[in-house]
Amino acid sequence: MALTDRCDIFGSVHEKGINRIVRHLMRQRPSLFNYGTAFFLRNPNLLCERIQAAPEVLQAHDPLLSVQDPVPILGAAIPLGLNWCLQFTDLQIDFHPGNVFHLPNELGNLPAQRLALRMRGCFGLDCPSEEFIREILPQVEAEEVAQRGKEVFGTKERQPAAPEREPIVLPTRKLQCLCVELFAVLHFEWGTIPGNPQQWLKLRLDGLEIVDLGPAPLEEMAECYIRAVLKLGILPRLSVPIEAMVLNITELMRKQGLAIGETITLQPTPVPAGVPNNPAVEDDRLKAFINLVVEV
Amino acid sequence: MAHFTLAVSEGTFRRSFDLLKRNLRFSKSDQASFGIFVAGYDVRAHLEGGTLDLRADNTISVRELDIRWDRLRFTLGINIPEICVGGGCINMPWPIPDICLPRVCVFSGNPDISISPDLAAFVAQEVSFTGRVVARYFDASVPPPLPDLCAPIRIEPLPDHNQWHIHIDPQTIDVDLFDFPDIVGNLIENTLSNAVRAIIPGGFVRDIILAIIGGIADFIRFLLDIPDEIDEWLSDLFNVSFGLLDFIGTLVLDFFSTCNPIYRIDDPFELLPASNGLIPVRIPLRNLSVRVNDAEMVAEVDIGG
Repeated sequence: MALTDRCDIFGSVHEKGINRIVRHLMRQRPSLFNYGTAFFLRNPNLLCERIQAAPEVLQAHDPLLSVQDPVPILGAAIPLGLNWCLQFTDLQIDFHPGNVFHLPNELGNLPAQRLALRMRGCFGLDCPSEEFIREILPQVEAEEVAQRGKEVFGTKERQPAAPEREPIVLPTRKLQCLCVELFAVLHFEWGTIPGNPQQWLKLRLDGLEIVDLGPAPLEEMAECYIRAVLKLGILPRLSVPIEAMVLNITELMRKQGLAIGETITLQPTPVPAGVPNNPAVEDDRLKAFINLVVEV
Repeated sequence: MAHFTLAVSEGTFRRSFDLLKRNLRFSKSDQASFGIFVAGYDVRAHLEGGTLDLRADNTISVRELDIRWDRLRFTLGINIPEICVGGGCINMPWPIPDICLPRVCVFSGNPDISISPDLAAFVAQEVSFTGRVVARYFDASVPPPLPDLCAPIRIEPLPDHNQWHIHIDPQTIDVDLFDFPDIVGNLIENTLSNAVRAIIPGGFVRDIILAIIGGIADFIRFLLDIPDEIDEWLSDLFNVSFGLLDFIGTLVLDFFSTCNPIYRIDDPFELLPASNGLIPVRIPLRNLSVRVNDAEMVAEVDIGG
C-alpha cells in the first residue's frame, strides 16, 4: 500500500525523531529548559541536576540557564531573596501505540490516535543556614525598628518613594530539591471556535498525572492546577486555523518569477471524506495528509 | 523506520507537470552588431504533450515532451555606410533665387539589408528523458579529487561544510532536434485547416472536416514517429541512449549533474538560528534517501544521535 493512496502528499515524523530533536535542543539550548537565579551561572554544580550541555555551548560560553529574580523572603524589612532553580531534565513524546515509556496506572494504556508526553522536572529552593540567619538578623531588626519609628512619627507617607533596593540574596550551600515526573495524554481534533466559522486544529488534554508527589491532597491540587493551565492557558494558544495550513504555491512561484494563471494550494486532506484522521497519531508516528488543489 | 518521511504521489507529479506545461513560456530576444553585420533573434516557445511516469525501477521517465516554437525568428542584416549626394546651393544674382540641389542619401536604414525568417512552423523538438533522483553525501573533510574535473562546470563552489546533495542521475536521453513527424503533421494540419476555413466559413460540416483533418494529421505523425518509438523503446530496454548525439548528450548531462546538485541540505541542519549571543541549534541528518516506485516518490531522513 502506497503512502499517498489517500492523498497527494504524505508527511510523517517518528517519535524517535522528535525525541532526538528534543535531546539536541536540551543540549544545545539549555537555557530553554533551565531557569534560576544568577548565582547558578557561577555555580552550576549546585543545581538540582547537572546540565548536560553540548561542548560547543561551553566553548561559546553560552548561559546554561535563563536568569530569574530570587524568591523574596516575605515580610523582611530589608529586601532579602533566596536562590532557586527550575529544571526540565527530561521531555519525551510517545505516539500510539505507547512503547517509549510506561504510563502510570492512573492513565492506563495509551488509546488509539493519542500521544503521551513525559516530563521530568526539578524545583530547587535554597534553605538558608541558621548561622547566616543569626548573622543577618540584627540588620533586619534594626531596619524593622527604624521603619516602625518612621510610622510612629507619621513621616512614612511624606517621604518620597525610595528607589527599590537590590535584594540581598542569601548565600547557598545546597538546594532543597523536589523532582517530579509528569505524564500527559493528548489528542488532536478539528473544530470551530465561536465567532470564527473556519476549522481549527486543536490539541486536547485527555489526562494528566504527577507521579508520587505526596501527600495526596497536594498532588491533586498540583494536578488540578496544571490541568487548568494546560486546558485554558497553553493548549488554546496552540490551536491552528486551517487557513494557516494552506500553502499558496502560486504566490511562492510568483516570488520566484514564474507567473501562473491558476491558483495552486496545498491543503490538509479533509476528514473524514479523505482520511479518517488528519493528522493521524498511529504506528509511532505523527502523519499528515495533504492535497494539491488547483483552481482556475 | 525513518524518522522523517515525505511522499509525493505520481498523480501529483503529473498534475504539476501539466501545470508547468500550461504555464511555462520561454521568451527572449536580442540583437547585436558586428561591424557592418547585424544579427539578432526573437524566440518564444512553450511545452506541449509528453507524459511523466514514476516507475518501479526507481526512475522517473518523461516521454515525448514537445518543444513548440511560437516564434523562432533570426535576423541577419548588413549596415552599409550612408552615401549622400547633392544638397548644395548655387548663389544667383538678385532677384534670381538661389538654386539648391536636392540631397539624396542611400543606405540610411539600420540595417540597410536584412532577412528575418520565422522558422517556427518548420522546427519542432521532442525530448524523452529517464533518470533517477540520488542523494549523495558531501564530506568537506575529504579533499576534492585531483585533477578536479568538475571545477570548470560547477555552478556553485564546493561548500566548506558537510552537506547532503540531491542529484538527477540521467539514464537515457532522446532528443529529436527536428521532430519530423510533428513538423510534417503540423504543416499538413495547418495548411488543410486554413484551406477548409477559407472555403467553408462555419457550421458543423466544417467542424467535421476539421476533425477528420486532425485525425489524418495524427495518423501521419504516428506513422512517421514509429522509428523514433522503436529507438526510445530500445533505449529504455537496454538503459542506454542510441544515436551518437543522444549518447554524447547522456554522457554530458550525466557528468554535469554529477558535478551540480539540484538541491543542497546542510549537515548538521540549522534548526534554530543564533540569537541573543547564543549559538545556533543544529541537528545532524543521517541516511537521507530518495526512492521512486510506480506509485510515488519517497524521501526519508533520520536524525543523528
